[in-house]
Amino acid sequence: MANIVVLGAGIAGHTAAAYLQKGLNKKEHKITVISPTPTYQWIPSNIWVGVGKMTPEEIKFDLRPLYKKWGIEFIQAKAQSFYPEGDEHINTGFVEVEYNNEENKGEKIKVAYDYLINATGPKLNFEATEGLIPGNGNIASVCTFGHASHAWELLQSKLDKMKNGEKQIFVIGTGHPTATCQGAAFEYILNVDFEIKKRGLEKQAQVIWITNEYELGDFGMGGAFIPKGGFISNTKLFAESYFVERNITWIKRAGVKKLDDHTIYYENLDGEYLEQPYDFAMLIPGFAGHGFKAYDKTGKDISDKLFAPNGLMKVDADYTPKPFEEWTIKDWPETYQNPSYHNIFAPGIAFAPPHSISKPMTSKNGTPIFASAPRTGMPSGIMGKVTADNIINWIKTGNATMIHKASMGRMGAACIVSAGYGMRKGTAATMTVSPVVPDWEKFPQWGRDIKTTMGEPGLAGHWLKWLMHYMFLYKAKGLPFWWMIPE
Amino acid sequence: MENRLIITKYSEQYYPPTPNNFTLFLRRSIFFQLIRFFILNYKIMKIVIKGHS
Ligand SMILES: Cc1cc2nc3c(=O)[nH]c(=O)nc-3n(C[C@H](O)[C@H](O)[C@H](O)COP(=O)(O)OP(=O)(O)OC[C@H]3O[C@@H](n4cnc5c(N)ncnc54)[C@H](O)[C@@H]3O)c2cc1C
Repeated sequence: MANIVVLGAGIAGHTAAAYLQKGLNKKEHKITVISPTPTYQWIPSNIWVGVGKMTPEEIKFDLRPLYKKWGIEFIQAKAQSFYPEGDEHINTGFVEVEYNNEENKGEKIKVAYDYLINATGPKLNFEATEGLIPGNGNIASVCTFGHASHAWELLQSKLDKMKNGEKQIFVIGTGHPTATCQGAAFEYILNVDFEIKKRGLEKQAQVIWITNEYELGDFGMGGAFIPKGGFISNTKLFAESYFVERNITWIKRAGVKKLDDHTIYYENLDGEYLEQPYDFAMLIPGFAGHGFKAYDKTGKDISDKLFAPNGLMKVDADYTPKPFEEWTIKDWPETYQNPSYHNIFAPGIAFAPPHSISKPMTSKNGTPIFASAPRTGMPSGIMGKVTADNIINWIKTGNATMIHKASMGRMGAACIVSAGYGMRKGTAATMTVSPVVPDWEKFPQWGRDIKTTMGEPGLAGHWLKWLMHYMFLYKAKGLPFWWMIPE
Repeated sequence: MENRLIITKYSEQYYPPTPNNFTLFLRRSIFFQLIRFFILNYKIMKIVIKGHS
């Protein structure tokens, strides 16, 4: 009997759990999912919660009945420490977790495993930026459905002020010098702008994009080239054109350091310390690992064997430090397997990338200001599936060779950037890149396969995004033939 | 187009391309977008299938 433990029930963890239960006989093998909340949320639709177009109930559901049906044990708890060799009493690897449910909150237990999937995603590191506290004053976030729901309340209060003739400044973008997830903030600024214009309030509003990107459209993936209108142009033009069309202005190369109730303090790559007043701010925080600890059999701290300095888990990537010019797609992991403990995997945002994709930049004062590497939903889902497939193969054949692979240097990603909700008046840009990490050896001219890379704005994009919301929730709910829907 | 008038000349916002009325019409046209919907679906599926090995 194999005992598989999955930490985290987000896109990567839930996808892995779903395929594990499909591929393994549950009478013979045990699957346990551990997550601090029993809820699955379709995070991309938080954008629509943040502008009042969807309620949190429409984007989330309770996982417990589904896991019961699937024969998966669910433990509502937070992982804290890893013991990959066991300890003096327990001979297999285990994780120490702390209950997060009403009945046993705060109680700790040890959960043993034969195979461990760490899919705990990012720690939303709001603390790394002074004053960036969602829900505080004029600060909003859309990173969770709870945050997004508050963002909508705050936004409504600002819309009301504008209706009464008051001018308001909306600043949306990145809230840390090395934040990632620009795509989500980009969607939110466009949706906020759409809602302002829909109400005819644009004269009262100033909408500003603030970003750590070197150029707009970098999105943490070094930008991309897309064929359009007889030219092959960079996503810089695409993003700027989107903003100019809407009269949104921007501040780029900005590392946000601090916020108070009405001012954002930032440093730019020129080393200047500047201030931007605001009435509404939605800034994506930095991402980090959860600060997990790891110990060997004797109780010695071996956290550095499992985790990179940023707290994310080490996997089969090449972490040798090298200059930007020498980066290749071979640095990127394929199986998300920990090199020291082969029965531990980290798909999704939980794995430590070998480096960023965008070129690291440093201000004149030595502050790193650039976009970290994104790991969007589609790659996270694919990594979850590949991890499950490899574990299933290992269990069934006894052969530990990882036959399924999914490198961000080979897989593509599709991302629909919503820019306004509505079946007739809505709009979104459909973006695809292949591969996610540019492969300058295979595609020396553009870094990616120009035939499959695109960026197309229009109403059809909104229909696609809307359809994907229902399709991916259908899949996550394990409804009939869920597995036919790709990640 | 009218945005150009309120944007300060020589600022960053002065230079990027803006869609003309025909492009905007195509982006909103139900008929044209229906066709694009199927094409975009096909293009995404090509990427999705390639991503799984
Ligand atoms: C607002 C927003 C919009 C986005 N829009 C898009 C989009 O349009 N398209 C796209 O492709 N991507 C989008 N993304 C990115 C996408 O949401 C992420 O790529 C994806 O959620 C990553 O999946 P994950 O499983 O690695 O992490 P998560 O989805 O964050 O899941 C992590 C899981 O781990 C659990 N967990 C946390 N700590 C612990 C612990 N200590 N122990 C156990 N469990 C723990 C969490 O509760 C959660 O269940 C968006 C992100 C945001 C924030």
